[in-house]
Amino acid sequence: MSAAKSQTEKHPLDTDSPRFSIKKPKVRYDKQGDMPDDQRVATAMRHFVRDFGATAAVYMESCIHCGLCAEACHYYVQTADPKYTPIWKLEPFKQAYKREYGPFSFFYRALNLKSPVTVGELQEWQELIYDSCTLCGRCTMVCPMGIDIATLVGQARHGMFQAGLVPHELWAVAERAEKEGSPLGATPKVFKDRIEWLADDHEVDIPVDEDQADIMISMSSIEIMKYPESIVATAKVLNKLGAKWTIRLDGYEATNFGMLSGNTAWQKDMSMKLINAAIACKAKILILPECGHAYGALRWQGANIYGKPLPFRVMHISEFLAENLKNGKLQVKKVDKSITFHDPCQVSRRGGATQAPRDVLDTLGVELREMKDTGALNWCCGGGGGVVTIHRADDLRYKVFQIKMKQVDDTAAEMLVTSCSNCRQTFDDGQAHFKWDKTANSLLELVADNLVD
Amino acid sequence: MAKSATLGEMLAQRGISRRSFMKFCAATASLMALPPGMAPGMAAALAQAKRPSVIWLSFQECTGCTESLTRSHSPTLEGMIFDLISLDYHHTLQAAAGFQAEEAREHAMKEFDGQYLLVVDGSIPVADDGIYSTIAGISNKDMLIESAQGAAAIIAVGTCAAFGGIPKANPNPTGAVAVSDLIKDKPIVNVSGCPPIPVVITGVLAHFLTFGSLPALDHLGRPKAFFGESIHDRCYRRPFYDQGKFAKTFDDEGARNGWCLYELGCKGPTTYNACATVKWNAGTSFPIESGHGCLGCSEPDFWDKGSFYRPLSTGEWGTGAGIAAAVAAGAAIGAGAALMSRRRQEAIAKEK
Amino acid sequence: MDLLDFARGPALQWSLYILVIGVAWRLIGVLLLRRKADHSEPRSTATARGALFTIWRRMWPRKEFQARTVYGQTVGYVFHIGLALVVFGFVPHILFIKDLTGLSWPGLPSNVVYLIGVVTLAALILALVRRMTHPVLRLLSNFDDYFSWIVTTLPVLTGLLAVAHLGARYETLLAIHILSVELLFVWFPFGKLMHAILFAFSRGSTGALFARRGAST
Repeated sequence: MSAAKSQTEKHPLDTDSPRFSIKKPKVRYDKQGDMPDDQRVATAMRHFVRDFGATAAVYMESCIHCGLCAEACHYYVQTADPKYTPIWKLEPFKQAYKREYGPFSFFYRALNLKSPVTVGELQEWQELIYDSCTLCGRCTMVCPMGIDIATLVGQARHGMFQAGLVPHELWAVAERAEKEGSPLGATPKVFKDRIEWLADDHEVDIPVDEDQADIMISMSSIEIMKYPESIVATAKVLNKLGAKWTIRLDGYEATNFGMLSGNTAWQKDMSMKLINAAIACKAKILILPECGHAYGALRWQGANIYGKPLPFRVMHISEFLAENLKNGKLQVKKVDKSITFHDPCQVSRRGGATQAPRDVLDTLGVELREMKDTGALNWCCGGGGGVVTIHRADDLRYKVFQIKMKQVDDTAAEMLVTSCSNCRQTFDDGQAHFKWDKTANSLLELVADNLVD
Repeated sequence: MAKSATLGEMLAQRGISRRSFMKFCAATASLMALPPGMAPGMAAALAQAKRPSVIWLSFQECTGCTESLTRSHSPTLEGMIFDLISLDYHHTLQAAAGFQAEEAREHAMKEFDGQYLLVVDGSIPVADDGIYSTIAGISNKDMLIESAQGAAAIIAVGTCAAFGGIPKANPNPTGAVAVSDLIKDKPIVNVSGCPPIPVVITGVLAHFLTFGSLPALDHLGRPKAFFGESIHDRCYRRPFYDQGKFAKTFDDEGARNGWCLYELGCKGPTTYNACATVKWNAGTSFPIESGHGCLGCSEPDFWDKGSFYRPLSTGEWGTGAGIAAAVAAGAAIGAGAALMSRRRQEAIAKEK
Repeated sequence: MDLLDFARGPALQWSLYILVIGVAWRLIGVLLLRRKADHSEPRSTATARGALFTIWRRMWPRKEFQARTVYGQTVGYVFHIGLALVVFGFVPHILFIKDLTGLSWPGLPSNVVYLIGVVTLAALILALVRRMTHPVLRLLSNFDDYFSWIVTTLPVLTGLLAVAHLGARYETLLAIHILSVELLFVWFPFGKLMHAILFAFSRGSTGALFARRGAST
C-alpha cells in the first residue's frame, strides 16, 4: 500500500517541470471496506474490463491528446488546473483497456508498455472521477474525435465502486437508497405520509397504488424532501388533463444513486422498481420528474437493464407538458415575464429533450432570453452526477457555479427557470453562498401555477 | 610512333595551325572550369609535352565508348586528342593484328614503364577464372593486372569499366566487375557514362597532360568538373518541373511542348554527368532534349534500378496480391485478438 | 545495393506490409469487440445519417467553443492541410500513389508545393511548442505524442532538405526522405496517427448514439 508521499519526494503532478509520461494528481481518498490493496486493484480492473465493448474501445483508441476537452469543462475553465482535463479522468480506465482488452493488449502486457494500474493511481483518481465530474457531457460535444467521455467516466465508476473507492458521502447516500428506497430518507412510509398531508393541504387528488393507470409518475427524493410542491403541481396538471394516473409506493424513486455511485447491481435494483411498478399498474406512460440523471437512467438505460424494450413510454415531465400544451389539451395563462432557462444536462444535452421546455415556455408566452451558450451547449450547474453530495467538493462547486451566475445575469432576465430539482438544489445552495439575487424556479410549478381553470 | 618530337612540333608537322591549337586549349580549359587565363599556360605546357604512351585495353565491352570518341565527320576536339597522345594499343583503331599487336603493347609497357596511361573500357569477367573474355589467350583479368603494374594512372572509360555496367546487371552470369574492384594500388579515374561524352574523356587526358596529375574526383572516382552536378540541376527543362508541367506520354501535348520527363521515368535527379551542359555530338542534343528521359547511365548499377520508364518516386513494393494477403492476415490476427479479449471478458463477467 | 535502392526496394515493401497488417489488425481487433443492443425507444432512427453528420460536423468546433480553441484548431489545420497539399499535390508523390493504386490527378506547381512545405513545417513546430508549453497538453502528452510528431515532421523536413540539396548529396537526402516516410508507415498503426482512420468510427459512434436520442451532435 503506497503511503502518502513525503515532502522531499518530487510531487507527481509537478506541472512546472518538463514531463514526458503519466503523472498523477495529489488527492485525498476515501475507502470502503477492508480489502487489501492488491485486491482493490484487481477488482477495479476486472470491473473496468466488464464494461469495455466495441464502442468504448473505439473511444479509447481514438484520443489524440489535443486538450480541447479541457476547454469545454467547467472545472478546468474555472480553475485552470490541467488535472481536470476530462480525458485525463479516464487515464486508469484507458490503461486498463490497453493492457487487458485492446487489439495489442498481449504486447502491452508482454512488453510492459503500460504498467498495471496501481491502487495509488486509483485512489488519486477518485477525486477526478467523482468530485470533479458531473457527467454533463460538454466534453463529448467538443471532442474532435467525438469521444463520449461522459459515458466512459460513468463506466469507470463501476470499477471504482467495486474497489471500494467512492467518496464516502456518495457511497453512504447510495447505500441508503438501496436499503431504504430513498437516498434522503423518503421511504415509502415517509412518502405516503407526505402525500397525504400534501393532498390534504392543497386539496388535490393524488391517487396512490392504483391497480391500473394510464400514467404512472415518479418523484425524486429531492422533490419529496425539499420541494414537495412538485408533487402537488404534477397532481394538478394530471388532474386537469383528466388522466388516469397513479403513484406507486412499490416504485416511485426516480433518482438512481446506484448509477451515480457506480454500483450496477444497485442501479438495476432501483430502475427495476420503477419498471416493475409501471408494469404492475399496466401504465402506458411513465413520467420522470424534474430530475436530470433520472431521465438518463430510465429513458436511455432502463430498457437495457430490463433486457428488452420497455412496454411503456418514458417521458420527462417537461416533455409531457410540452406535448399536452402543444396539442391544446392543457391550457395556460400568459406569463408576462422575461425568463431565462437553465438546461439540465442529462435532459437536454445528453437526453435530447432540449426543445420541450422551450415549447412549454413558448405556450406560456414568456419573453425567453436565451443564455449565451444555451440549449445543448449550456453550462452545467456543477451539482449533478452526485457531486452535490460530496462536501469536500463544495469549494470547487462554488467556483464553477460562478459561470452560471454570470450567464444568468448577462441575460438580465427577470426570472430563472429550470426543470431539474438537483440543479434547483445546487442553484439554491449557490445562491445562499454568494448571496445572489436569482432563484431557480421549477418549470413544472410555473405551468401548474398558471393553468387555466 | 615518334617519341622524341614534342607535341608542338608534331602538331606543326601535321599542319594543325596555332590558332586551332589555341582554340582547343581554350575550349578544354573552359570545359574543365579552369580560369580563362589558364588557356595560354595550357597551350605552353602541351606544346612542350612529350606525347605520352597510351595503352587502351578493351575488355567486356560493346565498343560504344570508342565509337563515341571517334564519331566525327570533321576535325573535332575529340579527334585532336589523338594528336596529343601516342595511342600505342587499341583493338579497333590499330592497324596491327595478332601477335604483332600484342608485341606492340608489351613493348610500350616496357619502354614507358611507370609512365604510360592505361585506358580501359568494358567490364572484367572474373567468374570461372575469367574465361568469359580473353585476348590472345590471356584473360581480361590477368591482362589488366599485368598492364596496371607499370601504369602511371588508369582511366576507366564507360560505365562498364567504371562500375561494371551492363554485363554486371542481374544475374551477372560472367561475374563482371569494375576496374576499381581489381586494382587497388593505382590512381583510377572513372569516366562513366554509357557511353561517356567524348569531350569528358579528352578533358581528363588534357588535364593529365597539362598538369601531370588527375583532376579532382568525386566519391565514385569521377572527375568533378564533369560529374559534379546532377542532370536535374542543369536540365533546360527544369523550369517545367518547377512549374509542375510534365509530359505523360511520349507524344502528348506536354511532350510536344518539351515539358519535364519525370513522369516518363527520367532519372535526372539522381544522375551525375555533363549531358545537360556539354551535350552530345558537339553540343547538338542530349536524350532529354530529344524527348527521352535520362537512363542514369553514368551511375553504378543503373540497369538494376527498375524500369527506365517508372518515375524515380516509385519503388519495388511487391504486388497487389501481396498487399491483399497482408490485409487478410492483419484482419485475421485482429479478429483473433478480439475473440481472445471477448473470452477474457466473459470469464470475468462469470466470476461475479 | 545503395541506400536509395534499399529505400525504394525492401524498405518500401516491408513498411507497406507492416502498415497494412497493423491497420487491419488494430481496426478489426477493435470493431469486432462486444456490441450490446440498445433496447431503449429511439427518438429517431436516422442513426446512419447522424453518424455521417457528426463525422462532418466535428471538423470544426461549435461556436460556443471557438474562442477557447481557435489557436490550437488553426495550427492543427494549417499543418493537416499543408501535409495534404504536399502529399497529394506534388507530382512525384502523385506518381508514387498512382504506382500503388492506379489513381492519379493533376498536381500543383512544384515551387508552390515547396512553399506549402515550409508553412507546414512552421505549423508543425508551433504545434510542438504548444504541446510542450500548454499545461493541459504537458499533462496529457506521452511518448506516442512526441514520437508521432517526429515521424510526421521528418518527411516534411527531409523533403525540404532534399529539394534544397542541404546536408548531403541529393540521392542520399532522397533516400532518407523515403525512409522517413517508411518510418511513418511502420508507426502509423500503433500510435495516435491511426486517428486518420479511427476518427470516422469514433465520431460516427457518438453521432449515431446522439441521433438516436434526438440530441444535438
